[in-house]
Amino acid sequence: MNLIREIWQSIVRRDPLSTDKGKSELVFLNVWLHIHPAKVKKEHLRFKYTFYLGFITFFLFLILVTTGIALMCYYRPYPPMAYQDMKDLQFVVFMGPFLRAMHRWAAHAMVVCVFLHMCRVFYTGSYKKPRQFNWVVGVLLLLLTLGLSFTGYLLPWDQLAYWAITVGTNIGGYAPLVGGQLKELLLGGHTVGEAALIRFYVLHVAVLPSLMILLTIVHFWRIRKDGGLSRPTWKLRPNKTEALVTIGAPAEVAPLKTVAASTDKTYGLMEVVTGKPIFETVTPEEEEDAVFSYPYAFFREAIALMVTVTGIMAISFFFHAPLEELANSAKTPNPAKAPWYFLGLQELVSHSALLGGVVAPALMVLVLIAIPYLDRNPSRRPADRKLILWLFTFFVVANLVLIVIGTFFRGPGWAFVPPWVHVVSGAE
Amino acid sequence: MNRRDFFSWGTAGFVALCSGVAVSLGAVVRFLVPDVFYEPPQVFKIGNPGDFPFGPPTFLADEKIYVFRDRDKGFAVASAGCTHLGCTVNYFQSDQKFHCPCHGSVFARGGDVIHGPAPRPLQWFEVTVTRAGQLQVDKDKVVPDSYRLMV
Repeated sequence: MNLIREIWQSIVRRDPLSTDKGKSELVFLNVWLHIHPAKVKKEHLRFKYTFYLGFITFFLFLILVTTGIALMCYYRPYPPMAYQDMKDLQFVVFMGPFLRAMHRWAAHAMVVCVFLHMCRVFYTGSYKKPRQFNWVVGVLLLLLTLGLSFTGYLLPWDQLAYWAITVGTNIGGYAPLVGGQLKELLLGGHTVGEAALIRFYVLHVAVLPSLMILLTIVHFWRIRKDGGLSRPTWKLRPNKTEALVTIGAPAEVAPLKTVAASTDKTYGLMEVVTGKPIFETVTPEEEEDAVFSYPYAFFREAIALMVTVTGIMAISFFFHAPLEELANSAKTPNPAKAPWYFLGLQELVSHSALLGGVVAPALMVLVLIAIPYLDRNPSRRPADRKLILWLFTFFVVANLVLIVIGTFFRGPGWAFVPPWVHVVSGAE
Repeated sequence: MNRRDFFSWGTAGFVALCSGVAVSLGAVVRFLVPDVFYEPPQVFKIGNPGDFPFGPPTFLADEKIYVFRDRDKGFAVASAGCTHLGCTVNYFQSDQKFHCPCHGSVFARGGDVIHGPAPRPLQWFEVTVTRAGQLQVDKDKVVPDSYRLMV
């Protein structure tokens, strides 16, 4: 019994969880958990403030990595076999359809959650100082999510895949100056074939996930370094300035002056610095609003993880991932539609390849990245930000409208067809 | 080593380091450009002139081309690739036009754009007759739409 306890102690090296010290040590003695603070604010745990969208997105990514690795065991990125392997996964591999469906639906859900997460961060004004850079990292993560989706649905080498590569790389070809070379670099040749498939496979399973993991680490790290999750500060009690505690880096403007710290709290070496903290000011009263990450935050995260995983599993149990016919370079399906999240782009491209496929998306991304630097309004209170909230809402609605048009209002030949009209396309 | 030397050598070293990195990055990009392409040939034979009927163009699926044969004008070969984003256009005898299924471009029988978003007319390729009397198409040689081969 003593030996078992000794082994356990050698692994966890912390006091029992019944003590406050043990609860803190659980977090900061553990390499995986110490991305959390030992204590979190109560508001951070409120579901209605964040909807846990960041966590859910991350958990979806974990599902995608695990199911993706499993699928790799049966997949050969070479044109005729790639499609055959999909058929094998559908019909002869144990749990093949289920795993493929999980991978597909988790990918769709991730696109949704990344977008909703961005909306939440925008509407709460959480991209404002000092979190500007983390917003930029977030936009890059959104682009990586879309890139992974695009390179992912190419791999089955069905009709959807083939024509998506064709259209996608041709859009790349419209890019100014480097367009032609970019297209050739992506295809590894001049036509869509074996060389293109292996390149998109490498992007999908190695290059983009690595970048995703690197940027996710930066994203999480910056949440901590920028002062934790943002809070609806305009709803909090006003701080009593005389009771300010001196933590953080020296301020640029305030004269160096030591402010009396609360007497009932001891501070570590890191915190014995004069000046204003770079992050949200902590008052002794606010200390009371904090709770230990264990069990309060971890319990909620575990619930979010379980809900995410079971949700995706339930959907995958009933709905299998679609697979079209084998790629056929001679016959473009009519209409040839991308997955729903790219149909807004396809709608734009149907008007002009250069403007809709290159200029408009590039501008959208640049404006998104620039938002925290263009928005000079320091207030995060919604009442003070009416104009920009309306602008962002317009951006969101415009994107949704384009997607709805592309999904439901476009028929054969990309003609405008309302969903309640049935078109029989006979002349083929 | 005095201060001046230190900065001279330091600058030289820094420039050398940057050039080294730049050359390496260039080499990596160059590595990604293949020197040998295992792709279908751009010059290929499509058969005897007699194989092609008069009237509506014949679609050759593997080569993605339309072969026109007119009684008085002779042979012409059009690319089936839409000039917008490369989908394969379909020829409809009913209205004698090419329709692109991806984004709705429409081309006249002569290849001209009737309805966007395609920016350019369909491409026409050079078609010649080999000594054995077979038609040969060269996709690398784009010709004006007035080009015709009389056999």
